[in-house]
Amino acid sequence: MKRSRVFNEVLLAVENISLSFGGVKALSDISFDIAKGEIRAIIGPNGAGKSSMLNCINGFYHPQQGAITYKGVRRSQMRPHEAAEQGIARTFQNIALFRGMSTLDNIMTGRNLRMKTGLFWQALHIGPAAREEIEHRQAVEKIIDFLEIQHIRKVPVGQLPYGLQKRVELGRALAAQPELLLLDEPMAGMNIEEKQDMCRFVLDVNDEFGTTICLIEHDMGVVMDISDRVVVLDYGKKIGDGVPDEIKGNQAVIDAYLGVSH
Amino acid sequence: MLGPFLETLIGGLLTGVLYSLVALGFVLIFKASGVFNFAQGAMVLFAALTLARLTGEIDGREVHLANFVVAAAILGTALAFIAWYAWREFVARGGGPAEGQRMAILAAVGALIGGAVAWFYGKGAWPLWVALPATAAIMGVLAYAIERLVLRHLVNQEGIILFMATLGIAYFLDGFGQTLWGSDIYKINLGLPKDPIFLFENVFPGGLLVEPGDLVAALIAGLLVVVLAIFFQKTRIGRALRAVADDHAAAQSVGIPLNTIWLIVWTVSGFVALAAGVIWGAKLGVQFSISLIALKALPVLILGGFTSVPGAIVGGLIIGAGEKLSEVFLAPILVKQFDLAGGGIENWFAYMLALIFLLFRPQGLFGERIIERV
Repeated sequence: MKRSRVFNEVLLAVENISLSFGGVKALSDISFDIAKGEIRAIIGPNGAGKSSMLNCINGFYHPQQGAITYKGVRRSQMRPHEAAEQGIARTFQNIALFRGMSTLDNIMTGRNLRMKTGLFWQALHIGPAAREEIEHRQAVEKIIDFLEIQHIRKVPVGQLPYGLQKRVELGRALAAQPELLLLDEPMAGMNIEEKQDMCRFVLDVNDEFGTTICLIEHDMGVVMDISDRVVVLDYGKKIGDGVPDEIKGNQAVIDAYLGVSH
Repeated sequence: MLGPFLETLIGGLLTGVLYSLVALGFVLIFKASGVFNFAQGAMVLFAALTLARLTGEIDGREVHLANFVVAAAILGTALAFIAWYAWREFVARGGGPAEGQRMAILAAVGALIGGAVAWFYGKGAWPLWVALPATAAIMGVLAYAIERLVLRHLVNQEGIILFMATLGIAYFLDGFGQTLWGSDIYKINLGLPKDPIFLFENVFPGGLLVEPGDLVAALIAGLLVVVLAIFFQKTRIGRALRAVADDHAAAQSVGIPLNTIWLIVWTVSGFVALAAGVIWGAKLGVQFSISLIALKALPVLILGGFTSVPGAIVGGLIIGAGEKLSEVFLAPILVKQFDLAGGGIENWFAYMLALIFLLFRPQGLFGERIIERV
């Protein structure tokens, strides 16, 4: 059932990343790459350093050692808004939406970077600024249609159920038309139907827009179904990397999940 | 009876506009960082002091030449930036982002020219049209300094920590303003007609007395409110600002630069402080007690809602009018009925009203409803 696809171009490469908080080593010497157009999963038990890894890629954390090469440019430090400018969008493990704003406004913030009219027109809200607002509104409406959330367009997201909030968050990330989309547990806490919907959206995004996706997920069924390649972390170390079938047969991975003493 | 009532009402409403102006500064910063900025009153004082001393007649109270040179240098830099921005916006549309080096050179040139002009002009009373933009530029620099030296280091901290920081800024600014400009009572002369105007003389005997200064204040406040409301509700930057207030990390992840947003907000609230300072200063004289009007803004905020620009305005009007009406009409009744000494209602009326509001509508008239999923 797994489509086997071939990817040649590397979009992002992580080289020997180490990250520690005080004395705690969150990541040690992690290397892997994400190919352009693939769905790459990061899995591992709780506290394995998966979210820390995403936070390094997106610039929230600055690893003490190692470098990240994105679109051929090697960098050691980057700030989150710069990462966003270069086409990296993300969602969060604990939903980080703008709770007071409507669904529409939340997704509009995702377009923020693509709006270029200056402060002057902004302040007057006429001319180019108004035209631009309409243009972007259209783009956002497309995303709303795509994610099937038309009915909650004007609802403040704080009032929405969990599953829908996750969807809005995905919408906000998509609004930036990212090249690389980082999803931190997009299906956590969802029921079966919601998970199926979310899987469909992730696959569609990958297919239709060619967006490269890197996701963290705990549901092994989902991971093995939708991802092209999987990297496995445990206690901040990489213990496995390969296509889903290889991972399923990897003894170190099985041990990590079943809890063999280290 | 209707005549005096309307007169009191109008007087109260016009005072209320001044409260609104101060409250507006609070709302802006609260919306963008969820912080009650205790330093707003100090900013009003600082702006008023600066303006008063740049325009002021030098009657024995020394203002050093260096003050004028620095102020002019800052103004020069600001003008250079505005020219640069206008050039990018209108002449070279779609040009790339400004390079740091070019900006630095530009700033230096602007500062040099500004400083040199002031040096040759010598110290002395600047006309209002020079002093006003200079003060605005200084408020911008102040905002930058606050962002760079204080706020940047407190990203993702608890609200109470940020509040304590603003407390520190408040006391620093109170003192620093007086260190720079001296601590006497100064005047700001806006050149407005001093004689009161009488409205509707044919309807009411004697007409309704209105101070022209109050009218101008109301006009300025109204204008500010309209511009700010549109700016913060409808534009990209306004949306970015609300996003920052809601969630720092999420805002950064969609590419909103936190520092820039804070700089914009503090600059704008610096301008609002300037507007409030000018008007209060012209009305009451520039003195230390101006910084205490910040406390008058508290009930206004509770009434209007901490997050609402229109709320600050309506709240200010209600408090202003309520105060005056209660003082003029309620006090005599109290005196008569209960044999009290009377008076002083003006001082506690606003706080009493705020207290009642806290009981029944804690989010204020226009505040965002507090939604909490448990």
